[in-house]
Amino acid sequence: MMGQAAAVPQHLVAKLRQRAFRHAPADRAPVVLRHSRIYILPTRRGYAVIATLLLMLLTSLNYALSLGLAVTFLLGGLVAAALLHTFRNLAGIEIKPLSAGDAFAGDELVFTLSLAAGSVERRAITIAANGADTTASVAAGVLATVPLAVAAARRGRLPLGRVTLSSSYPLALWRGFAYVHFPLTGVVYPSPEASAPPLPAGDYGADAHAEGRGDESDLAGLRDYQRGDPLQRVAWKAVARGAGWFSKAFEGTATGGPVTLEWSRLPPELDTEARLSRLTAWILAAERSAQPFALAMPGCVLPRAADAEHRRAALTALALFPTGAR
Amino acid sequence: MAMALRWPLGRSRGATAKPALPLTLAQVASLGLLLALAQVPQAPHVPLWVACIGLALVGVRLVLEWRAHRRGRSFPHLPAFVLALAAVAIAFLIRKTYGYFVGRDPCVAFLFALVGIKFLEVRTMRDGTLLVCLAIFLLVTPFFYSQSLATALFALPAIVAVGAALDALAHRDASANFATMRASWRRTLVMLAQGLPIAAALFVLFPRLASPLWGLPADRAAATGLSDTMSPGSISELSLSDAIAFRVDFDGAVPPPRLRYWRGPVLSTFDGREWRALPPQAGGRLLQGDAPTSRYTVTLEANDHPWLFALDFPATLPDIDAAGMRGRGGALAGYSREQQFILRSPLTQPIRYTLESLLVDAYPVASPREVAMNRRTPRGNPRTADFVRGMRGKYPDDRRFISAVLQWFHAEPFFYTLSPPLLDEPEPVDEFLFDTRRGFCEHYASAFVVMLRDAGIAARVVTGYQGGEINPRGGYMIVRQSDAHAWAEAVIDGRWQRFDPTAAVAPSRIDRGLYGSVPASDPVPLFAREDGGWLKGLQLAVDAINHQWRRHVVEFNRDRQRALWREWKIDAFAPWQMVVVVTMGVVAWAIVVLLAFALRRKRRERAIVLWEAACRRLARAGLPRLPYEGPLAFAERAARRWPQFAIALRAIGESFTALRYGTAASRERERNALLATLERAIDALPRASRLRAMSQG
Repeated sequence: MMGQAAAVPQHLVAKLRQRAFRHAPADRAPVVLRHSRIYILPTRRGYAVIATLLLMLLTSLNYALSLGLAVTFLLGGLVAAALLHTFRNLAGIEIKPLSAGDAFAGDELVFTLSLAAGSVERRAITIAANGADTTASVAAGVLATVPLAVAAARRGRLPLGRVTLSSSYPLALWRGFAYVHFPLTGVVYPSPEASAPPLPAGDYGADAHAEGRGDESDLAGLRDYQRGDPLQRVAWKAVARGAGWFSKAFEGTATGGPVTLEWSRLPPELDTEARLSRLTAWILAAERSAQPFALAMPGCVLPRAADAEHRRAALTALALFPTGAR
Repeated sequence: MAMALRWPLGRSRGATAKPALPLTLAQVASLGLLLALAQVPQAPHVPLWVACIGLALVGVRLVLEWRAHRRGRSFPHLPAFVLALAAVAIAFLIRKTYGYFVGRDPCVAFLFALVGIKFLEVRTMRDGTLLVCLAIFLLVTPFFYSQSLATALFALPAIVAVGAALDALAHRDASANFATMRASWRRTLVMLAQGLPIAAALFVLFPRLASPLWGLPADRAAATGLSDTMSPGSISELSLSDAIAFRVDFDGAVPPPRLRYWRGPVLSTFDGREWRALPPQAGGRLLQGDAPTSRYTVTLEANDHPWLFALDFPATLPDIDAAGMRGRGGALAGYSREQQFILRSPLTQPIRYTLESLLVDAYPVASPREVAMNRRTPRGNPRTADFVRGMRGKYPDDRRFISAVLQWFHAEPFFYTLSPPLLDEPEPVDEFLFDTRRGFCEHYASAFVVMLRDAGIAARVVTGYQGGEINPRGGYMIVRQSDAHAWAEAVIDGRWQRFDPTAAVAPSRIDRGLYGSVPASDPVPLFAREDGGWLKGLQLAVDAINHQWRRHVVEFNRDRQRALWREWKIDAFAPWQMVVVVTMGVVAWAIVVLLAFALRRKRRERAIVLWEAACRRLARAGLPRLPYEGPLAFAERAARRWPQFAIALRAIGESFTALRYGTAASRERERNALLATLERAIDALPRASRLRAMSQG
């Protein structure tokens, strides 16, 4: 027997384990829950009721109480039917990953999944992943969007991990559950330093920076809005009028001038994480004041820009900076 | 058609770890309803004070909970030790009431009170689960005492309430309210119906025990019925009871009333007031002979005594068919010299047995010692002794002496009555024979035997039942406690010969039963009367149902089960084959139930059904919907054709559109309102023929 067990190819075991527990993020969207994915186990209440029924069975058998047996078996039938209802509540649900958000370390990263009820109402479905869970019912024919806010403790990539859909509807005697594991990953940026020093002086010197601050009204005109333009520059009045989307174009270095955020210029006493935190805080500060910034750090140089795409690229670079590197 | 749904934002567990939610009013009410429904059938079988306390506690909690709810406060909770103390106190009182605690009856009584106490403090889901389990167990306890159809029917609402309570408890987010309670009941009924095949299969297939796993504690229940002692008044008291002692199915002709002596305990020792049975001695011999015989099956109610009743006198051993009895005939301890079947243990559950009797009135004496023992009379009753001496002088022959005594009973003004005057010690026989002369069968049997013994003739008292009534609706005989009787037997020519002094006083007692023989002013039980009227007819009908119930459900024991298996050829399977078959059966059941779900799912939405019905009606009226036409456009076209129904037609189009394509339809209430609008609007339209006529006109 031992020899036979050893003879089972390793990859077959791995495949079976994956099928049973879905440890690897190998599910392709969308996943429809079928019997092969749904497990059903008694809840604690289920165990308690089943134990009570067994006690009743023994008592009725011992005292030869036919009616006691009849009641026991009727309730047994109820418990069995509840199992089928639990199964039916889960079977046929279609689940898809929608998006993974971003967050700063210490905040919550919101993943979004979509859940299609199909032709029956789904009741009290709990969706849990990575320590977050949410419960709701979905009416028949409804496509629900499920946000899951996962605590983002450390910077870096945060996979959603294995999602567990479960429900103990209708009698909470059985808990049906199914594992779905999508390759859905969000990025956690470093947490911004709480009281970071002000932005370093702009590329045109401290004077230009200071001048630029008081020069916000130096509006050159409007140009068409392009995706990624900072929200501070959107001409909201024009939007509100319904005239369309425009960005305000400023003369020269109107908002204080571009800055270059350099890793090497940071005080040497700061360690990697502190540097990343400070750079994060500065990027946020530059965004607030709508200053274009460039980022220069080991392994990554980003040219000057001010749009959201640039900001995301910079923050992502900080998030994925290898730990311990200098 | 997919609609978006806002989902509550899922949070990491640390943020949402809530304390255990208190139960909502609806959850407490569901539990209370379950408990009350489980308690009520049990209440008659526990002491009155336990029943009152148990039910009152449930009521108190419900009322307090409701009041707290109305004031917007949560239910104030008693400290746990108070309730524990209450439980201990009640356990102590139950111990006092019964005299013991470890036994079926006191434990059931304690459980009854305990659910009340627990309900008073039920707070969390876990408490709720515990309470449901206790209540489930409480469901079977009434069957310890009665397995009648009525008891079973009483248990049904409680069974549904179990599911409803579990359903209410399953609402974890405090969303259980009275609206969801109705849905809970409906859902439970559906699930019970779906589980019915499983339940039925288990009932038929689950193997019954050949013998109990643990000893049945002998509970000291006071079942009505004959006992092994007899004192004046004991049988007349029994005669006031309509309770059924046993039922009999005769294989052939029913013997006439005067031969229906159902033999019970035989009483040999007399202390001047009370007759007692001797310890039963084995050694009885079954009668053989060419007298007419009768074969019959008795269904004997539990009576807490270890004996069977048989028609005088048994010719075969009884073929016992009862669950929990150790096999066929094994329950029988023996056949006593007094011609009585003795069981190994007192009868705590109904038993069914078949045997054959020889319809004679005498049987041989077993031993000379037996004769000697039955000649002893206690001292006292001098007037009787004098009278017997005088009579014996005239009739030295035993047989003629006995006839003379019976004749004397017949000729003298003796009265047969259920309410005889009390007899004073120390000479009750003297007083009865010469002063009061009013008595019931036990007075006559006792006095008669004393007279025979005074005359030197061995005699003894036999108790049992005499008569019985045929239920025309079932063709079987009912023997009630009111048929209890006492007669005598005396040794004549080496044989015990039956004599019934009551027959000498009131011959109609033997032929026509109790009612035909006592004065009309006596309180005869209703069902012992011949003219019980429609009520008696109803009772007979109910009893016929109960008898069938008993035969087919209650007494579906190991033997019956095996017989059914043989009949269905189930017993041909090996155990492992049985397991395979049962597993396959369960899988088949699951598939069928799930397929039924799927079929129901296919059933189209109600809105579409209604809409298509409306379209068909309009098509028959001459306005078919064009293939490309949307509901609103079609409704508009129809409204132009029938302007008098424009409002209804437009309402049909609009509500259907809203139901199918609107956002409001995702909320149940609005959906229902829209459906109601659609339905009312369709109802407002006349029939197709009328519509057609109108459009032509």
